[in-house]
Amino acid sequence: MGALTLALLAAACGGEDVTAPADTGGATAGETTGDATGGTATGDATGGTATGTATGGTATGAATPDATGEATGAADGDVLKVAFVYVGPVGDAGWTFRHDVGRQELEEALGDRVETTFLESVPEGAQSERVFEDLARQGNQLIFATSFGYMDQMLAVAEKYPDVVFEHATGFKTAENMGTYFGAAEEGRYLEGMAAASASPSGELGYVAAFPIPEVLRGINAYTLGARSVNPDATVRVVWTSTWFGPDIEKEAAESLLDAGVDVVGQHQDTPAPGQAAEEAGAKWTGYNSDMEEFAPEAWLTATVWDWGPYYIRTAEAVLDGTWTSEQYYGNMADGMVTIADFGESVDDETAAMIETRRQEITDGEFAPFTGPITNQAGEEVVADGEVAPLEDLLATDYFVEGVIGEIPAQ
Amino acid sequence: MTRLRWERRAAPPAWLTPALPVLAVAATFALTAVFVVLSGAGPLAAFNELFVQPLTTRFTVLEILVSATPLLLTGTAVAVAFRTGYWNIGAEGQLLAGAIAAAGTGTLVGGLPRPVALLAMGAAGAAAGLGWALLPALLRVRFDIDEVVTTLLLNPVALLLVTGLLNGPWRDPATGFPESERIAASAELPPLLARSRLHLGFVVAVALVAVAWFVTTRTPAGVRLRAVGLSPHAARFAGIDVRRHLLGAALVSGAIAGLAGVSEVAGIQYRLTEGVSPGYGYTGIVVATLGALSLPGVAFGALLLGLVNVGAGTAGRRLGVPSQLGQVVQATLLLVVVALLVLRRYRIVRAGRGARP
Repeated sequence: MGALTLALLAAACGGEDVTAPADTGGATAGETTGDATGGTATGDATGGTATGTATGGTATGAATPDATGEATGAADGDVLKVAFVYVGPVGDAGWTFRHDVGRQELEEALGDRVETTFLESVPEGAQSERVFEDLARQGNQLIFATSFGYMDQMLAVAEKYPDVVFEHATGFKTAENMGTYFGAAEEGRYLEGMAAASASPSGELGYVAAFPIPEVLRGINAYTLGARSVNPDATVRVVWTSTWFGPDIEKEAAESLLDAGVDVVGQHQDTPAPGQAAEEAGAKWTGYNSDMEEFAPEAWLTATVWDWGPYYIRTAEAVLDGTWTSEQYYGNMADGMVTIADFGESVDDETAAMIETRRQEITDGEFAPFTGPITNQAGEEVVADGEVAPLEDLLATDYFVEGVIGEIPAQ
Repeated sequence: MTRLRWERRAAPPAWLTPALPVLAVAATFALTAVFVVLSGAGPLAAFNELFVQPLTTRFTVLEILVSATPLLLTGTAVAVAFRTGYWNIGAEGQLLAGAIAAAGTGTLVGGLPRPVALLAMGAAGAAAGLGWALLPALLRVRFDIDEVVTTLLLNPVALLLVTGLLNGPWRDPATGFPESERIAASAELPPLLARSRLHLGFVVAVALVAVAWFVTTRTPAGVRLRAVGLSPHAARFAGIDVRRHLLGAALVSGAIAGLAGVSEVAGIQYRLTEGVSPGYGYTGIVVATLGALSLPGVAFGALLLGLVNVGAGTAGRRLGVPSQLGQVVQATLLLVVVALLVLRRYRIVRAGRGARP
């Protein structure tokens, strides 16, 4: 029992800097949720210790163990403490990297008015609940969770901390103090598909996909529709990895597609690993999340890119101003949340011009990727000729369009 | 120059058992200090965040107990088997079998009152854990096939079964995500305190540790089990049915590990997920060995690892160092514990001194 005794002893000596930062900072958020119960909801007497969150600059570099100075900073009502929870490492060059770029843009834009912190590689599921609760207890007034699998845990913590604003990317559950945000990646996916089919002599495309959830199915469908707008015979072969972030698995999955004869690989994964497989096989590649050209320059065509910064800035400003309300935000190419990366050298001028035209039509609202006639794998019509699939249908996508080779695991 | 050599101990000295955890924490601290400093934080601050801060708030103390709950069960499962000389490395697979059974039962017991629903889940989970332990146990007592290998190899099989179910028939139809349907409300282990995740499973786990302690140390059956573990030949000579006791210990161990799966599904996850066990079965081996296979030791080991788990979860962010550092500390602690266990069997002496073999 020596270690415990020692620890308890040290705790007794070191426990003086305990404050309840949630009480001091929670008012701003509380007013906006319309559910302002003051400090009571978070007023669990022991509070948290206001240690170690970095102020300004980079969240990791500047941290000091000097608790007293930072506790003072946190007590200043003008500084909004914002936390980000990431599913992968910020160095994944993809999904998490783009969110972290958004976080840095938030810091640059709002300067002293915000103080951000992030946690990377947090597993989805039950283990994340402790993370969210801890962040809420540490006085963060705005918490962003950036992966689907955090949904139930964030909702559970949101119910316990009504004064804290929660924002969940890609999910569909909300509360008075919890909103969601995402965007029409399908707009970029459609253009990716056009680039892929244009670069594919065989018309056989492949797609490395994480989970068969609507977000991913929607992207595969848009990719296929875009590809078939260029080459009506194009097919998209899908393999599932059951992971968002797994460079080895992503690469192996891409290799299995290349072995099956595809000459362009697309992906709904967090890293550039599928592109490296394509590069090695002399095939082409459309990425995801960010401009990943440097990882496989020969294979690179383009990618759907996320730009989260403006949303993070708007949301933090709304919380600071007390105007934040819970909503399900769905960005697109028009508002800039979704865009596509610069074309690689494998995209010829003609194709580039064609895609640019379509992109302008999408941005201007003149064209929607899911415009009928669209048929599913079984050949049944799912969107009638000339009609545009409504967003609520797209958000619940549970089928593959004609041209996709692969199946959605048992539903 | 003094030459040192290893010498086998007849029995570990009494001071060693309580000293081991202290040594382990100290050695882990020393080994990881290098990385802490490289990451730009102070070693003392890191120690404070990992081992001390979690003990200073109600929230983190309760979370330590939440973390310790499955480890109390898997630690007990491993200790009971190891004490009998049955090397069950399969607690992870038995836990997963229990979790599968609990998730399946939990969706079927919606109409039943909570006590009935919970008992049904507990029985199903224990039976599943026992069932998963049965094959290696039979192979061992019938054909003398090494259970270390068979129990270990059944762990990935259980995980594949979970993955197969979640990517196939049990996939959540609402979201398409590989998670099973949420269990019925009446099948949830109720929380013990308001605003905390600590659930009834913790009480069950503590009770089971107490029962296991009583049985192994205060009953004739316990004496026989330990006799089999200390020397099967002597036990056989004394008229004990060694095979029957090995089989019994293996199955009880599997059932307890299965209950760990029930506890996680019914108390924390409320559904089957691929991440239902981040290695609780394997960590149970560390808990049991850290606790010198005694049940009070298991309780201590589970709480210590729960503490490190909670501390590691937040230390990275508080210190402004990469969050992986917490995992490095946890992994180092496990390795150090295993390495230090050699001290229970051997001691270091100067060459030329001590008894020659």
